[in-house]
Amino acid sequence: MGKHRQVIALLLLLSGAPVLAHHSAIAEYDLEKPVKVSGTVTRVEWTNPHIWFYVDVKNPDGTVTNWGFSGGAPGVLQRRGISRTSMKIGDQVVVQGYRAKDGSSNGSGDTVTFPDGRRVFTAMEGLKAQP
Amino acid sequence: MKKLILLLVVVFAALVSAQTKPAIPRTADGKPDFSGIWDNPKPPGTNRIPTTFDKAKFPPFKPGGEAFYEPRTGDPRHDEPRAFCMPSGFPSAFLGPYPVQMVQNAKYLVMMTEFMRVTRIIPLDGRPHQADIEPTFYGDPVGKWEGDTLVIDTTHFKRWSLDDNYYANPKEYRMHSDAFHTIERLTRVDANTIKYDFTVDDPKIFTAPWTEHWQLTQHPEWEKTGLYEMVCNENNRCPGGQCVKQ
Repeated sequence: MGKHRQVIALLLLLSGAPVLAHHSAIAEYDLEKPVKVSGTVTRVEWTNPHIWFYVDVKNPDGTVTNWGFSGGAPGVLQRRGISRTSMKIGDQVVVQGYRAKDGSSNGSGDTVTFPDGRRVFTAMEGLKAQP
Repeated sequence: MKKLILLLVVVFAALVSAQTKPAIPRTADGKPDFSGIWDNPKPPGTNRIPTTFDKAKFPPFKPGGEAFYEPRTGDPRHDEPRAFCMPSGFPSAFLGPYPVQMVQNAKYLVMMTEFMRVTRIIPLDGRPHQADIEPTFYGDPVGKWEGDTLVIDTTHFKRWSLDDNYYANPKEYRMHSDAFHTIERLTRVDANTIKYDFTVDDPKIFTAPWTEHWQLTQHPEWEKTGLYEMVCNENNRCPGGQCVKQ
């Protein structure tokens, strides 16, 4: 278990919370592979069991990859004051999370930072992207 | 005269006791009313969500109790079927970071968690468990009153995941047996708090039961929206780590 993973395990133990709502985060995401991208929001799916949002990210070679990120359950986020209008198509965002285990351009979107510095935790409490 | 003084003391003590006892909502039949939207169970004075049971509290295994730890196979459909939206089971579904709504009348207490809208309908007439029924993910709960405490006894479970320990330690997947048995004791100690003692009993695995002492806190402000919908299969994009592109 790498140091990074130990930190996550510790966070989980301290919080006692499942990382994502429907029992999937460890099954789906590789906590050894943090990811941080910046780009433009292209779509938001305000759906259960987790929201998904998609971000066009420019690669160094000029191509664009559309990343998909999952967050918390809509109800849990709404109770925390995060609504479907908190993130809109066209918004510029920086997303931190963990890559999907299957190596695709999917990940858990644990924090979303807007240009004005506003930060939105979209994951469940307990899994927070490490800097 | 002494008897009269003693009687007065007893009456006075009873009056003081009645006045200091916190007022709690009651149903028409005088029983404590647990209706309301409550935060998930937590140890008193903490913000910890007890999605896993503390191994330090486990009593010793009985012979054969090692079956508690289900071996991992590498197949996610076996290793964590709940990542494919299979039921969380009881009590796991009620221990995550989701509110629980209770609705009560003289005959039943209904407990529903926002998480996958799992519903337990608990008869309050003191009836015994049903005989010869199929085991289920959520068991057969029956309730009875012990004074102002509601005691819910649940049996007839399928062998299934005990808790969310998989997310802390995937190598120790905990499965309770089909003899799993829980006893919940709910006491409404004030207007917004339920003392919630939860006894875990699995006589095929453990040599003794053990009890967790939790509490539930009411959130009247959540009544405005009620429980949100939570349908696991709506958009489960990465079941078992195999993400499906949009």
